[in-house]
Amino acid sequence: MEDSQRFTFLVAGEAGHGVRRAGIVAADLFGELGRYVFQMDDYQSLIRGGHNFSVVSSSTAPVLSQYLRADLAVALDARSIEKHREHLSPSGVLVYNSSATGETVPGAIGLPLSSLAKGYTYAELRLGVAAVSVLAARVGMTRSDLEGFIGRKYERDTEGNVAYALSVFDVAARSVGVTQLERGDAPATMLTGNEAIGLGAYAGGLDIYFAYPMTPASSVLHYLAAHAREFGITVVHPESEIAVMNMAIGAASVGARTAVGSSGGGVALMEEAMSLAGMSETPIMCVLSSRPGPSTGVPTYTAQADLSFALNQGHGEFARIVASPATVEEAYRIAAELMSLSWTYQVPSILLTEKHLSESRMTVGISAELPSELASIMAERGPNYARYADTETGVSPLRFAPSDAMVKWTSYEHDEKGISTEDPDMICLMQEKRRRKRDSVVEHLRGRSCVNRFGETGPLIVTYGSTTLSVLEALSCGDLEARVVQPVYLEPFPEWEFSDLDGEDAIVVEQSCDAQFSELLRRRTGLNVVASVLQYDGRPFDPEDLARRLKEVL
Amino acid sequence: MDDLATYAENTWCPGCGNFGILSAFKRAVRRLETDGMRRQDVAITAGIGCHAKTFDYLNLSGFYSLHGRSMATAQGMKLANPRLKVVAFAGDGDAYGEGIAHMVFAAKRNADITVIVHNNGIYGLTTGQYTPTSAKGFKGPSTPDGSVEDPFNPLALMLSAGATFVARGYPGRIDHLTDLFARAISHEGFSLVDVLQPCVSFNNTYERYNASVVELGETPESFEEALAVAGRTDGVPIGVLRDVSKPTFHQEMLGGRNPAEERASVAHRREAVAAALRQ
Repeated sequence: MEDSQRFTFLVAGEAGHGVRRAGIVAADLFGELGRYVFQMDDYQSLIRGGHNFSVVSSSTAPVLSQYLRADLAVALDARSIEKHREHLSPSGVLVYNSSATGETVPGAIGLPLSSLAKGYTYAELRLGVAAVSVLAARVGMTRSDLEGFIGRKYERDTEGNVAYALSVFDVAARSVGVTQLERGDAPATMLTGNEAIGLGAYAGGLDIYFAYPMTPASSVLHYLAAHAREFGITVVHPESEIAVMNMAIGAASVGARTAVGSSGGGVALMEEAMSLAGMSETPIMCVLSSRPGPSTGVPTYTAQADLSFALNQGHGEFARIVASPATVEEAYRIAAELMSLSWTYQVPSILLTEKHLSESRMTVGISAELPSELASIMAERGPNYARYADTETGVSPLRFAPSDAMVKWTSYEHDEKGISTEDPDMICLMQEKRRRKRDSVVEHLRGRSCVNRFGETGPLIVTYGSTTLSVLEALSCGDLEARVVQPVYLEPFPEWEFSDLDGEDAIVVEQSCDAQFSELLRRRTGLNVVASVLQYDGRPFDPEDLARRLKEVL
Repeated sequence: MDDLATYAENTWCPGCGNFGILSAFKRAVRRLETDGMRRQDVAITAGIGCHAKTFDYLNLSGFYSLHGRSMATAQGMKLANPRLKVVAFAGDGDAYGEGIAHMVFAAKRNADITVIVHNNGIYGLTTGQYTPTSAKGFKGPSTPDGSVEDPFNPLALMLSAGATFVARGYPGRIDHLTDLFARAISHEGFSLVDVLQPCVSFNNTYERYNASVVELGETPESFEEALAVAGRTDGVPIGVLRDVSKPTFHQEMLGGRNPAEERASVAHRREAVAAALRQ
């Protein structure tokens, strides 16, 4: 059902106008009203110029997606007027920077935002502040509340920013009209997916995070680096993703719990060492945040095209765990769980996500209670320690150097002590031991829920990752009835949680051109995939557009 | 009984230079033990190739890594537990080819690891191709008409990268090599021992090196002097070219903390997560 309380703010301009910051501050403004928020940044791979926008949807009820049709859009440059004038809600207002365009825009409100900024240093960088002021005027904030709010939110040159904000507010209050927003009782915390991943990995036992910058995974690195001291962890940015993965594996082998992160290209460089983690049975968690590929692709946009890549990481055969969270809360939980599962079963794990979740910011209700499933590491103190002791579960007790025992980890096929072997019987024994670990992981996953289900009746939609958010929001805004099934764990694939759906028709929604997820479902479940709703332009689904597309196939 | 040996069968060619390197390394470990080092605190890594079999032959803990990556694995181990004395064995293909970036960066950040390069100018285990240190014109299965590339001067390269300890040794001079290993392992910071290793099957350099190695007396006093020694063409200098002190990577990064032994407690994590959520 259309949510009458929903209010969407969009700010657009060039890189260098403070658009992203304005989006964050606008989200905080809604947050201070107790409203739920979903904020999505659309930006290009450049430092100055181009076209960026930040869209912030808010409501008194949870909002699971950005809406492109804005109730208030602020265009900071001429190009933004053209890009967004068609994307307004029926009662939506477009405010534009009249200093940036020579002509009057019919049906829109021009304010001289650049002219008002003259006299301040870095005038262009301040335009985002103006957008926040326009929003404040539109939602009926008082002048003095805005003064305090800008003072809290803009720490650099606070005085100048407050003065500029108030000068914009004064002209805006006369012309933009007021839509009073209802207060809500949403939790106060807002996080991006990447912040939640970093926090979850830490909650799950992370000691050292290794990463080389690559959009859209870099903010995990930045978040953990900024918090390293208070968390009591170490964050390292070495020379390459190859160094990242090999250092992380070395560090894990002496008992530090490590994680790494990158996007597709960086994980491709890690792949040889991913296989090393498989052979050496090194616990390691890897964050793979996707953007459109192949190759360099479209760095700052979203995609789900690395599913097969994630599932099939590494040459040779070895157990691995892959999971993909739908929400920021789930990102926190899954990051912690994967750290734990990796250490419990001594296998590499991949947290597969995408730019849309990594970099979108939303209201979350995360409890500081740590996940209950913290890894139980089998330790053995006996004198005759063998790193790769053959066991029923396939999992060998761990021990770390410095130790009285010889603790050998290795990339070669090996005997129980970790000495290289080419003996056919020993090769089989170790292959089977590693295979049994996969069975043990399956056994573990069977004891818990690996698949989310939403809705009781209606046709069946299957999706995964943050596309789940888009689907749920589309069903809500489009007033559509459907059941949604979302596997969180993708490897080992939880087939057992699909058995009751055998033979059912299913519509699959995913952000891939090859429909990789649809193929996976055909292979691993008894579902009858009748339609795949795909999007692969780098943009996340817009819920209203997705609702229209779903209506065609439901 | 050799308590530094394992049950692994030694499969190096008879007369291989690796025997001398292994022997000198064991002697260095024993000497350091008499000086108070605990054997348990030594951790080793190795790349892939003939040199790397050293990993199986030593009764020491560690990680048998990938080709070119033993230096990266070693840096991860050292950072996670600075108590460890980490020694990375590498071939010249590992250290100066596939993994050269890790060498250069380990030196740049003064990572406190010792890299022992078994430099034989040949890929022995893959049947004799030219390596980054093979002479121009070297004929092997991948360069039947002779390599067209000039070799690296690894000592000059690593000096320029900022290595705080650089040495070259020769297994034909076991006592001298033992001294170099002991000094390199004791050095706080990045240390390289480039070992001129004859390969009896594909690149037998015993006669050449027996006739040409020259033991350095004093360690050169300056970087420029060290560089000049590394570039000498009148004989092959062996000995310590550089030995200077500088804060190490783990000291700079950790300030005395030990990530593996002093992990943040569950209680601390719970509090820190709660505080981060309040921000």
